[in-house]
Amino acid sequence: MTGAAQAARDPRRVSPATLLRVLWRSLFLQAAWNPRGMQNLGFAYAMEPALRDLYPDPTARAHAVERHLEFFNCHPYLAAAIVGGAVRLEEEVARGAAEPRSVSAFKSALASPFAALGDGFFWLALRPAAALIAAVTEPYLGLWCVALFLAIYDGVHLAVRAWLFFAGYRRGEGIVTAVSHAHLPQIIGFLKGSAAILAGGIAGRSVVVAGLPHRPWHAVLIAVLIVAMAALLPRIGLTAALYTAMALGLALGGGFL
Amino acid sequence: MSALTVGGVAELLGTAAVAALIGGLAAVERKGALQLMLSRPIVLAPLLGWALGDPRGGLVLGVPLELIFLGGVNLGGSLPDNETLLAAALTSAVVPAGIFAGTGVDAPLAALGLALLYPLAVAGRRLDRASETHNAQLSERALASVARGADRAARLNLRGLLLPFAVTAAICFACAALAPMLGLARGACTPRLASGLTGAWHAVWALAAASAIRAIRDPRAPAFAAIGFGATIAAAALLRALP
Repeated sequence: MTGAAQAARDPRRVSPATLLRVLWRSLFLQAAWNPRGMQNLGFAYAMEPALRDLYPDPTARAHAVERHLEFFNCHPYLAAAIVGGAVRLEEEVARGAAEPRSVSAFKSALASPFAALGDGFFWLALRPAAALIAAVTEPYLGLWCVALFLAIYDGVHLAVRAWLFFAGYRRGEGIVTAVSHAHLPQIIGFLKGSAAILAGGIAGRSVVVAGLPHRPWHAVLIAVLIVAMAALLPRIGLTAALYTAMALGLALGGGFL
Repeated sequence: MSALTVGGVAELLGTAAVAALIGGLAAVERKGALQLMLSRPIVLAPLLGWALGDPRGGLVLGVPLELIFLGGVNLGGSLPDNETLLAAALTSAVVPAGIFAGTGVDAPLAALGLALLYPLAVAGRRLDRASETHNAQLSERALASVARGADRAARLNLRGLLLPFAVTAAICFACAALAPMLGLARGACTPRLASGLTGAWHAVWALAAASAIRAIRDPRAPAFAAIGFGATIAAAALLRALP
């Protein structure tokens, strides 16, 4: 039986094909990110195929779309769980088993904690760790380090995103329990520690490379520059730091000092 | 894809068009679509470099840029520097310039290009802010349409991708079209200036390392980084001491 046929027989459930369309559209959650509604337009866009299945009446459908145009902001990957859960809740609303406001309550209750979790894991731990692994291995792997970065990052990211979406759809509000069992804080701590060691390794390599061939003072000065920049970056900002460092390097390398 | 040859205006424009297309798509991927990290400098620069004829040259640019912008995170309403715009523009300019000059992407050319084009990373924040303002208008339009009973209002979402695509593509096109001038500047460098620019590129790596350490927002990061630093220096010393 096709998804469309199934949906036609049971208009209060979305078909598997529709679920996949919602998942695909959730990858465009931030296409129209804006300061007022943040991901509101993206969320409504992702939900649209499901709402089309659930509400054959255009007026009822427009009301449902309007519900999802309210303010929404979450981490774009973790939001997959909320999109999946919202589809499940919309099915219940369409059957008359839940109030429309329960959808909004579900979204607003989960958005902030999931945003914090996603920022901490993906942006501040996994991405730096994957990028540093690629940077450290670049002299040995060459262009393959790019594939390594994508394999590490997207291997985790895509699997987590798909799992969150379907778990959110299956469990609804129970997704919170499932996420809490993932032990993310421990993984974040491990990734950050590993990333810091690798960043130190890159600093060491920069010093060694600057000292070759037979330029020990260049190595010392680059080491001093790394320590100074690490200490001063938050105060002077990246732009000033970059041009200051380049001016010093130019003067040193050109023998102007 | 095509490699640039001296004197071919049509080929130069073709190269610029390729740079524009890939740069524009990367700008869209950065925040609005997919977010598979294809727009990160470590991926984008070698990919664009491949399309322009020198993937390794792209990698030379991409790795330090990735480390410099490792801590740039778009949290809520905060906007970091636009690393994608810089990586796309820099690769569009430097890779064809290296082919034109016959040097490839060496340290002096990379440093020269970065010094000239870095302000684009800061200007990219203005582009991001302008996109957000435009998107707020799209959101208002969607709300107004749905209030009138239109059930397809959410499709306006995808229009939010147009502005970053168009602006980044235009900048990449211009950078690639002007690449021969950068190649000429590289060719005109005296040995002393080239040595100085090599030193500047070493300093960029130093900043990249410092920035990467700062990007790890963890109180243990300096101690762990010191361990990594010490281990690398010790390993290098050991290798030198071996017969």
